[in-house]
Amino acid sequence: MSLYLSWWVGALALSGVVMGFWVAVGRPLGVSGSWARVIMWREDKSIEAAEAPFRANPKILQDALMQATIAHFGEDAVYETVAKNKGISKDAFAAPKAVNVQSKASWTMHATFLGSLMMGGLATALFTGQYQPTFNLGELHTQMFGTGMGYLMTLFFGGAMVGFGTQLAGGCTSGHGLSGCSRLVPASLIATAAFFGTAVVVSLIVHFTSGAAA
Amino acid sequence: MNSKTKQHLWYCAFGLIMGGILSLVGFTDFTEVHNMFIFADFRLLLLFATTVAITMAGFGLFARNSNIPKKPFSKGTIPGSILFGAGWAITGSCPSIALVQLGEGKLIAVVTIMGILFGVWGYRKLAAGGMKLDTGVCGEA
Repeated sequence: MSLYLSWWVGALALSGVVMGFWVAVGRPLGVSGSWARVIMWREDKSIEAAEAPFRANPKILQDALMQATIAHFGEDAVYETVAKNKGISKDAFAAPKAVNVQSKASWTMHATFLGSLMMGGLATALFTGQYQPTFNLGELHTQMFGTGMGYLMTLFFGGAMVGFGTQLAGGCTSGHGLSGCSRLVPASLIATAAFFGTAVVVSLIVHFTSGAAA
Repeated sequence: MNSKTKQHLWYCAFGLIMGGILSLVGFTDFTEVHNMFIFADFRLLLLFATTVAITMAGFGLFARNSNIPKKPFSKGTIPGSILFGAGWAITGSCPSIALVQLGEGKLIAVVTIMGILFGVWGYRKLAAGGMKLDTGVCGEA
């Protein structure tokens, strides 16, 4: 009897999260993207600041474009064209279309998401009465990777591979594996096959070289 | 309540729920994950596959015509995934798991998180420096 939920309960719950996230937030679920946005928060802020005037008043952009057009083609030519267009079609010189400044999720939203993932783990451990601080990932893991400095190095560089790899691949277990595969996105299917296949190979190598198999 | 606050609350709610589920199903337990990868235990594998199947049915039925962004294939997709897979195998952690582990009391996950931060930061620096591999990431595109 496993300590954990059975596969079908977990699958129902997890697919509910993937679909619910999309319905509620309007973006596909993905955790590695949140990391990127949180780490690059400074950049995020400067983009937001640069976009702010346009979001507040789309007309600024139109005026700027018109100014540039006049500078390039000369006042007469532009006015002539505008007048002609106005005669033919009203839309050609209608009010500015709203600039597409529907902003992405801000970095604070992503930070909230990452923080609550952690809180979710904490809440679960507390509610099930299993909260017990430990300094390793279990017996099997220490058996494979030892203790002390080597152990810390394994986790640090393993984490760095996860971080760098998911950025380079453009997604992780949630973004490629769940959100992507469930819609049969080709890049996601390839990515999932690659990361899962690699994890299988590496796990088998570690398993049989560390003596854990014995 | 303005839409920004609402979005923050949604992100918070889904983070809590997802963190709770990942913890309850054992995705944060290195032994369980390792046994999945060496095919000693099919529970998590079945769970993952079923999740994809249910989601596929759900999106197929209700979101057929919606315009959900699709991740593009890039030359970084395969090498990045290989790197990620190897990291996952030795830390038992994908980007969300390390955080949930830390919450659960597996305090050593702090080291994995520092690694992830270093990796993501390093990639962004390289990408900004002209390594033309910026592929977009989960959740945007």
